[in-house]
Amino acid sequence: MALPSRRNDYAVEFRDVSRRFVLHHEHRASFQDWFIGLIRPRGVAEEFWALREVTFGVKRGETLGVVGRNGAGKSTLLKLVTRILEPTSGQVLVNGRTYAMLELGAGFHPELTGRDNIYLNGSLYGFSRKQMQRVYERVVRFAELERFVDTPVKHYSSGMFARLGFGIAVHMEPEILVIDEVLAVGDANFRAKCLRALEGLKAGGTTILFVSHDAEQVRTFCDRAALLSGGHLVDVGPAAEVIDHYERLLAEDVTLPRVGLLRVRAFDEFGLSTDVVRSGADLGLEAVLRTPGGECPAGLVLLIDLFDEHGGHLWGAGAELPAELPVAGPSRRPDDAPDTRAARMVVRDLPVTSGTLHVVATLLAATDGREPLDRAEAVLRVESAGLDQRGLLALKHEWDWQQSDVPTSLEDRIGTIFRR
Amino acid sequence: MAVVQQTGELIRYRSLVTNLVAKDLKVRYKNSILGFVWSLLNPLLMMLVFTFVFTQLLGETIDHFPVFVLIGLLAWNWTAASVSRGTTALIDNAPLINKVYFPRVVLPVSVVLSNGINYLLSFPVIFLFMALYRMDFTPWLVYLPVIIAVQATFLTGLVLILAALYVNFRDTIVLVEVGLTAWFFMTPIFYRVEDVVPDLVSWMYWLNPMASIVAELHTVLYYGGVPDPLFMARAFVTALLLVVIGWAMFMRVSRHLGEHL
Repeated sequence: MALPSRRNDYAVEFRDVSRRFVLHHEHRASFQDWFIGLIRPRGVAEEFWALREVTFGVKRGETLGVVGRNGAGKSTLLKLVTRILEPTSGQVLVNGRTYAMLELGAGFHPELTGRDNIYLNGSLYGFSRKQMQRVYERVVRFAELERFVDTPVKHYSSGMFARLGFGIAVHMEPEILVIDEVLAVGDANFRAKCLRALEGLKAGGTTILFVSHDAEQVRTFCDRAALLSGGHLVDVGPAAEVIDHYERLLAEDVTLPRVGLLRVRAFDEFGLSTDVVRSGADLGLEAVLRTPGGECPAGLVLLIDLFDEHGGHLWGAGAELPAELPVAGPSRRPDDAPDTRAARMVVRDLPVTSGTLHVVATLLAATDGREPLDRAEAVLRVESAGLDQRGLLALKHEWDWQQSDVPTSLEDRIGTIFRR
Repeated sequence: MAVVQQTGELIRYRSLVTNLVAKDLKVRYKNSILGFVWSLLNPLLMMLVFTFVFTQLLGETIDHFPVFVLIGLLAWNWTAASVSRGTTALIDNAPLINKVYFPRVVLPVSVVLSNGINYLLSFPVIFLFMALYRMDFTPWLVYLPVIIAVQATFLTGLVLILAALYVNFRDTIVLVEVGLTAWFFMTPIFYRVEDVVPDLVSWMYWLNPMASIVAELHTVLYYGGVPDPLFMARAFVTALLLVVIGWAMFMRVSRHLGEHL
């Protein structure tokens, strides 16, 4: 709830804010699950605190950079500011019209023209048609889309898409602007233009919350910064100091065996990513790892487990990772650091009939047992090869319609065993 | 009070409702007149099928049967489309809900409205057929907006309930699909209320506001008769009750949407 703040010089204020997520391992809720739940108690839910007792304020007109590693709670913090999530405890106070850009072009409809999308996007944030008419021309000029404004955005290039999204954000004249990592896209020219536009907003008194992995960008652009780690607010203060702190933290991490699991995916016979696999065919699995320095520290174990749609454990295997792994291939995304490595495995003749298959990759330190370092999950759809099979398993089988010529009656066989 | 605040927010976001409705219609008609004509093809073909089956195969004797069935079919299409698309409106827009805050209630409401506008746009066709069959246009046609408003209220309430249920129970949509088929046959679209076993008629009206709505549409358009205000009032009260229940259920669910989707 956005209550009026006591001290009005704050645009955003967090008071002792915590946010908990409950991870249910049973994925899909349905009436069916509900009835089953009446008979059999639901599996233990895991709790996860994305933010813990975070208190800070952002003054009007201030630019705050939020830094931290993946999973430190940055996105949760932004979602609390933008009211997409509500805090589990504590108060989030927001004073002013907010525009959030958590993803470029979120809310664009591919079939609509650029023009219609500008108006639709504006109204998503509660801006009236009149307000949008006032800024419309400037948005189009900023995005350099004069010639394409009546083209459906599905025909836009990713650059045009990003320019339009950013153009809307900076021209809405928000009092508070929330930006998540969106400056990572586009070419250098576009990034420079966006930064100039943001400088303009800053000069005009807009409060900006800015999340970035790029420490230098935060150092140069932000007045202050907040450092999150494991859901705790570790440091908040002048940007340069906090960034120094963040870099020290990162440097410490490299000395530890800090390897992360970025994702797990299935690949087909051409090595291309897929989420549909055929029953009875070979299933290729690839875990993409982030390995600082490109080398795996010794003593890391990768587990691959397969579950069915009801969470039934079908199969699992683990192996210690070698120091040298191949550079992640076609699955590498442009935003992956160059030190991503791939660990691959092939399950021969996948003996599962049709249905949903959950693939879970877990990274463990062999020394300290059970505590997983990281975890990734993928959901695959298994298509049956059209064979008439029921049940969970696709077992290799053949019918024998012929009169068997080997005399192997049951008694005979038992007899042989005993005679031995 | 929370309700006042929620309503105020909805009013503030009214341009979002209009834009979503416009988006829906533009996408559906692909920005062309032909697209709109195309959307009329389905009810007109259904009208032909029903007319053939009931007048030729079954020897139904309702006069001007095509007009009779078209009136019910178009109203029914509004209901069916709103219910099936409205139920999934939140989940269909999950990426958006996770990225932008806006009052979530605009999603199901705009589904009901855009299908409602689609329905309104088809009225010229009903009038055209009435003219072709030389049927009377009586002054009681002024009562039409009242019937449409009752249906809009009823659909809003129903869709709010179903959309809220669907977030936690994903098999809702399976029940909805079956329910719609059953409901279609229990609504006097291709038969007259007078032909129903008399003991069951009042049950039908009580349990199924669509029966009252279609019956009143037939009264006003097909028979050119005088509508029964009390009758409509009862349907309207039912509809309002659904809106109240739906609103409460929806608001409860929508607070936690950010983590469920």
